[in-house]
Amino acid sequence: MNNKDGFTSAFLFRILVAGAVLLLAACSEPARELPVNTRLGGDFTLTDHNGERFSLSSLNGEVVILFFGYTHCPDICPAVLARVSQVYRNLKEQGEADRVQPVFVTFDPERDTAEHLREYLPWFKADIIGLTGDVPAIQKVAEQYGVVFIKEEGDSGGADFSHSDYIYLLDQQGRVRKLYPADFNIDEVVADVKTLL
Amino acid sequence: MLKRFFSAVLLAAASSGAFAEARIEQAWLRAVPPVSPSMAGYFVLVNDTDQPLVLTGASAEFAGMAMLHDTSTDGEGRRSMSHLKEVTIPAGKSLSFTPGGRHLMLMKMDSVPEAGETPKVCLAFQNHADLCGAFQVRHNEP
Repeated sequence: MNNKDGFTSAFLFRILVAGAVLLLAACSEPARELPVNTRLGGDFTLTDHNGERFSLSSLNGEVVILFFGYTHCPDICPAVLARVSQVYRNLKEQGEADRVQPVFVTFDPERDTAEHLREYLPWFKADIIGLTGDVPAIQKVAEQYGVVFIKEEGDSGGADFSHSDYIYLLDQQGRVRKLYPADFNIDEVVADVKTLL
Repeated sequence: MLKRFFSAVLLAAASSGAFAEARIEQAWLRAVPPVSPSMAGYFVLVNDTDQPLVLTGASAEFAGMAMLHDTSTDGEGRRSMSHLKEVTIPAGKSLSFTPGGRHLMLMKMDSVPEAGETPKVCLAFQNHADLCGAFQVRHNEP
Protein backbone atom coordinates (compact mmCIF):
# COMPACT_ATOMS: atom_id res chain seq x y z
CA MET A 1 0.00 0.00 0.00
CA ASN A 2 1.49 3.39 -0.98
CA ASN A 3 1.17 6.60 1.08
CA LYS A 4 -1.67 7.91 -1.05
CA ASP A 5 -3.77 4.76 -0.53
CA GLY A 6 -3.06 4.84 3.22
CA PHE A 7 -4.15 8.49 3.43
CA THR A 8 -7.37 7.74 1.52
CA SER A 9 -8.20 4.76 3.79
CA ALA A 10 -7.61 6.78 6.95
CA PHE A 11 -9.72 9.63 5.57
CA LEU A 12 -12.59 7.28 4.68
CA PHE A 13 -12.38 5.64 8.12
CA ARG A 14 -12.68 9.03 9.83
CA ILE A 15 -15.67 9.93 7.64
CA LEU A 16 -17.35 6.64 8.57
CA VAL A 17 -16.72 7.15 12.32
CA ALA A 18 -18.01 10.73 12.17
CA GLY A 19 -21.10 9.52 10.29
CA ALA A 20 -21.74 6.79 12.87
CA VAL A 21 -21.41 9.30 15.72
CA LEU A 22 -23.86 11.68 14.05
CA LEU A 23 -26.30 8.82 13.40
CA LEU A 24 -26.13 7.69 17.03
CA ALA A 25 -26.67 11.24 18.26
CA ALA A 26 -29.71 11.58 16.00
CA CYS A 27 -31.18 8.25 17.14
CA SER A 28 -30.72 8.68 20.90
CA GLU A 29 -33.16 11.38 21.93
CA PRO A 30 -31.75 13.43 24.80
CA ALA A 31 -33.72 13.18 28.07
CA ARG A 32 -36.20 16.05 28.07
CA GLU A 33 -36.13 18.23 31.18
CA LEU A 34 -39.39 17.92 33.08
CA PRO A 35 -41.10 21.29 33.63
CA VAL A 36 -41.72 22.53 37.17
CA ASN A 37 -45.42 22.58 38.08
CA THR A 38 -45.86 25.86 39.94
CA ARG A 39 -49.58 25.41 40.63
CA LEU A 40 -49.37 22.28 42.78
CA GLY A 41 -47.31 21.07 45.70
CA GLY A 42 -45.48 22.47 48.67
CA ASP A 43 -44.17 21.31 52.03
CA PHE A 44 -46.43 19.73 54.63
CA THR A 45 -46.18 17.93 57.94
CA LEU A 46 -48.11 14.77 58.86
CA THR A 47 -47.50 11.68 61.04
CA ASP A 48 -45.47 8.82 59.59
CA HIS A 49 -46.05 5.08 60.03
CA ASN A 50 -43.77 5.12 63.09
CA GLY A 51 -45.99 7.69 64.77
CA GLU A 52 -43.39 10.46 64.33
CA ARG A 53 -43.98 13.93 62.93
CA PHE A 54 -42.81 13.96 59.35
CA SER A 55 -42.22 16.88 57.00
CA LEU A 56 -41.90 16.45 53.27
CA SER A 57 -38.97 18.90 53.33
CA SER A 58 -36.97 16.31 55.30
CA LEU A 59 -36.72 14.46 51.98
CA ASN A 60 -34.95 17.33 50.21
CA GLY A 61 -32.12 15.78 48.23
CA GLU A 62 -34.30 12.81 47.26
CA VAL A 63 -36.70 12.25 44.40
CA VAL A 64 -40.16 11.53 45.82
CA ILE A 65 -42.99 9.52 44.28
CA LEU A 66 -46.02 10.84 46.16
CA PHE A 67 -49.44 9.21 45.99
CA PHE A 68 -52.70 9.14 47.92
CA GLY A 69 -55.21 6.42 48.76
CA TYR A 70 -56.53 4.25 51.58
CA THR A 71 -55.87 0.65 52.54
CA HIS A 72 -59.55 -0.39 52.58
CA CYS A 73 -59.77 0.43 48.89
CA PRO A 74 -59.67 -2.93 47.10
CA ASP A 75 -59.33 -2.05 43.43
CA ILE A 76 -57.32 1.06 42.44
CA CYS A 77 -55.16 1.66 45.55
CA PRO A 78 -53.48 -1.78 45.81
CA ALA A 79 -52.83 -1.63 42.06
CA VAL A 80 -51.17 1.79 42.39
CA LEU A 81 -49.17 0.62 45.42
CA ALA A 82 -47.99 -2.41 43.44
CA ARG A 83 -46.99 -0.30 40.43
CA VAL A 84 -45.15 2.34 42.46
CA SER A 85 -43.37 -0.48 44.29
CA GLN A 86 -42.36 -1.99 40.96
CA VAL A 87 -40.89 1.36 39.89
CA TYR A 88 -38.84 1.46 43.10
CA ARG A 89 -37.67 -2.14 42.77
CA ASN A 90 -36.68 -1.60 39.11
CA LEU A 91 -34.63 1.43 40.15
CA LYS A 92 -33.09 -0.56 42.99
CA GLU A 93 -32.04 -3.34 40.60
CA GLN A 94 -30.32 -0.67 38.51
CA GLY A 95 -28.59 0.78 41.59
CA GLU A 96 -30.58 4.02 41.25
CA ALA A 97 -32.90 3.90 44.26
CA ASP A 98 -30.66 5.35 46.97
CA ARG A 99 -32.12 8.81 46.57
CA VAL A 100 -35.67 7.78 45.64
CA GLN A 101 -38.48 7.71 48.19
CA PRO A 102 -42.09 6.54 47.65
CA VAL A 103 -44.54 8.31 50.01
CA PHE A 104 -48.15 7.19 50.54
CA VAL A 105 -50.66 9.58 52.12
CA THR A 106 -53.91 8.11 53.39
CA PHE A 107 -57.14 10.05 53.42
CA ASP A 108 -58.69 7.52 55.78
CA PRO A 109 -56.88 8.30 59.07
CA GLU A 110 -59.64 6.71 61.14
CA ARG A 111 -58.71 3.23 59.88
CA ASP A 112 -55.25 3.90 58.46
CA THR A 113 -53.52 4.58 61.75
CA ALA A 114 -49.72 4.72 61.97
CA GLU A 115 -49.80 1.20 63.39
CA HIS A 116 -51.91 -0.16 60.53
CA LEU A 117 -49.71 1.52 57.90
CA ARG A 118 -46.65 0.06 59.66
CA GLU A 119 -48.12 -3.43 59.22
CA TYR A 120 -49.54 -2.90 55.75
CA LEU A 121 -46.84 -1.13 53.74
CA PRO A 122 -43.68 -3.27 54.23
CA TRP A 123 -45.35 -6.11 52.29
CA PHE A 124 -44.79 -4.12 49.10
CA LYS A 125 -40.98 -4.25 49.64
CA ALA A 126 -40.46 -0.70 48.43
CA ASP A 127 -39.45 1.17 51.60
CA ILE A 128 -42.68 3.20 51.36
CA ILE A 129 -43.21 5.92 53.95
CA GLY A 130 -46.86 5.93 55.04
CA LEU A 131 -48.36 9.20 56.26
CA THR A 132 -51.51 9.78 58.25
CA GLY A 133 -52.83 12.58 60.45
CA ASP A 134 -56.01 14.35 61.41
CA VAL A 135 -58.59 15.00 58.72
CA PRO A 136 -58.02 18.80 58.44
CA ALA A 137 -54.26 18.29 58.03
CA ILE A 138 -54.78 15.65 55.32
CA GLN A 139 -57.41 17.81 53.66
CA LYS A 140 -54.89 20.68 53.51
CA VAL A 141 -52.25 18.48 51.87
CA ALA A 142 -54.85 17.22 49.39
CA GLU A 143 -55.73 20.80 48.46
CA GLN A 144 -52.04 21.64 47.96
CA TYR A 145 -51.74 18.81 45.46
CA GLY A 146 -55.16 19.13 43.86
CA VAL A 147 -56.34 15.81 45.24
CA VAL A 148 -60.09 15.46 45.59
CA PHE A 149 -61.55 12.96 48.03
CA ILE A 150 -65.03 12.56 49.43
CA LYS A 151 -66.01 10.17 52.19
CA GLU A 152 -69.07 8.10 51.45
CA GLU A 153 -70.91 5.41 53.35
CA GLY A 154 -70.06 2.16 51.59
CA ASP A 155 -72.52 -0.64 50.97
CA SER A 156 -70.19 -2.95 52.86
CA GLY A 157 -70.85 -1.14 56.13
CA GLY A 158 -67.57 0.82 56.23
CA ALA A 159 -66.64 4.09 54.61
CA ASP A 160 -65.52 4.34 51.01
CA PHE A 161 -63.87 7.29 49.37
CA SER A 162 -64.37 8.62 45.91
CA HIS A 163 -61.05 10.16 45.02
CA SER A 164 -58.68 11.32 42.32
CA ASP A 165 -55.71 9.04 41.93
CA TYR A 166 -52.82 10.91 40.34
CA ILE A 167 -49.24 10.04 41.24
CA TYR A 168 -46.84 12.95 41.71
CA LEU A 169 -43.16 12.98 40.85
CA LEU A 170 -41.26 15.49 43.01
CA ASP A 171 -37.69 16.57 42.39
CA GLN A 172 -34.94 16.87 45.01
CA GLN A 173 -36.26 20.32 46.00
CA GLY A 174 -39.77 18.95 46.57
CA ARG A 175 -41.18 20.58 43.43
CA VAL A 176 -43.84 18.77 41.39
CA ARG A 177 -42.34 17.82 38.05
CA LYS A 178 -44.88 15.40 36.59
CA LEU A 179 -48.28 13.80 37.26
CA TYR A 180 -49.24 10.30 36.17
CA PRO A 181 -52.57 8.49 35.97
CA ALA A 182 -53.13 5.42 38.15
CA ASP A 183 -52.36 3.07 35.24
CA PHE A 184 -49.05 4.78 34.48
CA ASN A 185 -46.32 3.13 32.46
CA ILE A 186 -43.70 1.78 34.86
CA ASP A 187 -40.78 2.25 32.44
CA GLU A 188 -41.80 5.86 31.81
CA VAL A 189 -41.70 6.71 35.52
CA VAL A 190 -38.37 4.90 35.97
CA ALA A 191 -36.91 6.95 33.09
CA ASP A 192 -38.37 10.22 34.47
CA VAL A 193 -37.00 9.55 37.96
CA LYS A 194 -33.51 9.07 36.52
CA THR A 195 -33.63 12.52 34.89
CA LEU A 196 -34.06 14.04 38.37
CA LEU A 197 -31.26 12.16 40.16
CA MET B 1 -69.54 -52.07 22.47
CA LEU B 2 -71.38 -49.19 20.74
CA LYS B 3 -72.98 -48.19 24.05
CA ARG B 4 -69.55 -48.11 25.71
CA PHE B 5 -68.20 -45.97 22.86
CA PHE B 6 -70.99 -43.37 23.19
CA SER B 7 -70.56 -43.33 26.96
CA ALA B 8 -66.87 -42.59 26.48
CA VAL B 9 -67.64 -39.79 24.02
CA LEU B 10 -70.21 -38.28 26.40
CA LEU B 11 -67.79 -38.50 29.32
CA ALA B 12 -65.01 -36.86 27.30
CA ALA B 13 -67.31 -34.09 26.13
CA ALA B 14 -68.56 -33.44 29.66
CA SER B 15 -65.06 -33.33 31.13
CA SER B 16 -63.82 -31.02 28.37
CA GLY B 17 -66.56 -28.55 29.16
CA ALA B 18 -68.24 -28.93 25.78
CA PHE B 19 -71.62 -28.86 27.52
CA ALA B 20 -70.80 -25.93 29.76
CA GLU B 21 -73.35 -23.23 29.11
CA ALA B 22 -71.86 -20.47 31.17
CA ARG B 23 -68.32 -20.27 32.53
CA ILE B 24 -65.79 -18.15 34.33
CA GLU B 25 -62.53 -17.44 32.51
CA GLN B 26 -59.31 -15.53 33.32
CA ALA B 27 -60.19 -15.43 37.01
CA TRP B 28 -57.70 -13.88 39.41
CA LEU B 29 -57.44 -12.00 42.71
CA ARG B 30 -54.95 -9.18 43.30
CA ALA B 31 -52.46 -10.16 46.01
CA VAL B 32 -52.61 -7.85 49.02
CA PRO B 33 -50.85 -7.69 52.40
CA PRO B 34 -52.01 -10.23 55.02
CA VAL B 35 -53.42 -7.39 57.15
CA SER B 36 -55.48 -6.13 54.25
CA PRO B 37 -59.17 -5.77 55.03
CA SER B 38 -60.29 -6.53 51.49
CA MET B 39 -59.18 -7.77 48.12
CA ALA B 40 -60.43 -7.45 44.57
CA GLY B 41 -61.09 -10.12 41.96
CA TYR B 42 -61.39 -10.03 38.21
CA PHE B 43 -62.76 -12.43 35.62
CA VAL B 44 -64.58 -12.82 32.35
CA LEU B 45 -68.05 -14.31 32.53
CA VAL B 46 -68.99 -16.10 29.32
CA ASN B 47 -72.66 -16.72 28.66
CA ASP B 48 -72.98 -19.38 25.99
CA THR B 49 -76.56 -20.17 26.95
CA ASP B 50 -79.51 -19.06 24.88
CA GLN B 51 -80.88 -16.92 27.73
CA PRO B 52 -79.64 -13.69 29.33
CA LEU B 53 -77.89 -14.40 32.65
CA VAL B 54 -78.52 -12.13 35.62
CA LEU B 55 -75.48 -12.03 37.91
CA THR B 56 -76.48 -10.96 41.41
CA GLY B 57 -73.56 -11.60 43.74
CA ALA B 58 -70.63 -13.71 44.81
CA SER B 59 -69.31 -15.71 47.75
CA ALA B 60 -66.08 -17.26 48.96
CA GLU B 61 -65.50 -19.46 52.01
CA PHE B 62 -62.64 -17.30 53.28
CA ALA B 63 -64.59 -14.02 52.99
CA GLY B 64 -67.47 -13.04 55.25
CA MET B 65 -68.77 -10.70 52.59
CA ALA B 66 -68.47 -10.52 48.82
CA MET B 67 -69.94 -7.92 46.50
CA LEU B 68 -69.81 -6.89 42.90
CA HIS B 69 -68.68 -3.31 42.43
CA ASP B 70 -68.15 -0.89 39.60
CA THR B 71 -65.55 1.86 39.58
CA SER B 72 -66.50 4.92 37.58
CA THR B 73 -64.62 8.16 36.84
CA ASP B 74 -66.32 11.57 36.79
CA GLY B 75 -65.36 14.62 34.71
CA GLU B 76 -62.87 15.80 37.35
CA GLY B 77 -60.99 12.50 37.32
CA ARG B 78 -62.47 11.39 40.63
CA ARG B 79 -63.06 7.66 40.92
CA SER B 80 -65.87 6.20 42.92
CA MET B 81 -67.21 2.75 43.60
CA SER B 82 -70.79 1.65 43.44
CA HIS B 83 -72.48 -1.62 44.33
CA LEU B 84 -73.64 -3.62 41.35
CA LYS B 85 -76.83 -5.21 42.62
CA GLU B 86 -77.29 -7.13 39.39
CA VAL B 87 -75.80 -7.18 35.96
CA THR B 88 -77.21 -8.90 32.88
CA ILE B 89 -75.07 -10.76 30.39
CA PRO B 90 -76.98 -11.26 27.13
CA ALA B 91 -77.11 -14.72 25.57
CA GLY B 92 -74.00 -15.49 23.57
CA LYS B 93 -72.05 -12.58 25.10
CA SER B 94 -69.39 -12.23 27.74
CA LEU B 95 -68.74 -9.59 30.38
CA SER B 96 -65.32 -8.58 31.73
CA PHE B 97 -64.52 -7.56 35.28
CA THR B 98 -61.20 -5.72 35.06
CA PRO B 99 -59.00 -3.44 37.23
CA GLY B 100 -60.36 0.09 37.37
CA GLY B 101 -63.84 -1.06 36.29
CA ARG B 102 -66.26 -3.75 37.37
CA HIS B 103 -64.71 -5.96 40.03
CA LEU B 104 -65.42 -8.49 42.71
CA MET B 105 -64.77 -7.17 46.22
CA LEU B 106 -64.06 -9.62 49.05
CA MET B 107 -64.29 -8.36 52.62
CA LYS B 108 -64.27 -9.59 56.23
CA MET B 109 -61.70 -12.21 55.32
CA ASP B 110 -60.79 -14.94 57.81
CA SER B 111 -57.44 -15.23 56.07
CA VAL B 112 -55.95 -13.51 53.08
CA PRO B 113 -54.90 -15.97 50.35
CA GLU B 114 -51.34 -15.50 49.17
CA ALA B 115 -49.91 -15.10 45.68
CA GLY B 116 -49.92 -18.47 43.92
CA GLU B 117 -52.93 -19.83 45.79
CA THR B 118 -56.12 -20.56 43.88
CA PRO B 119 -59.09 -20.20 46.24
CA LYS B 120 -62.59 -21.01 45.07
CA VAL B 121 -64.99 -18.14 44.46
CA CYS B 122 -68.61 -18.63 43.41
CA LEU B 123 -70.85 -16.32 41.43
CA ALA B 124 -74.59 -16.26 42.12
CA PHE B 125 -77.32 -15.67 39.58
CA GLN B 126 -81.00 -14.87 39.58
CA ASN B 127 -81.72 -17.48 36.91
CA HIS B 128 -78.85 -19.96 36.96
CA ALA B 129 -77.12 -22.22 39.44
CA ASP B 130 -73.98 -20.85 41.12
CA LEU B 131 -70.84 -20.91 39.01
CA CYS B 132 -67.64 -21.54 40.93
CA GLY B 133 -64.06 -21.19 39.79
CA ALA B 134 -60.49 -21.17 41.01
CA PHE B 135 -59.24 -17.58 41.22
CA GLN B 136 -55.46 -17.40 41.05
CA VAL B 137 -53.92 -14.89 43.45
CA ARG B 138 -51.43 -12.74 41.51
CA HIS B 139 -49.32 -9.64 42.02
CA ASN B 140 -49.98 -8.36 38.51
CA GLU B 141 -52.58 -8.60 35.81
CA PRO B 142 -52.25 -11.75 33.68
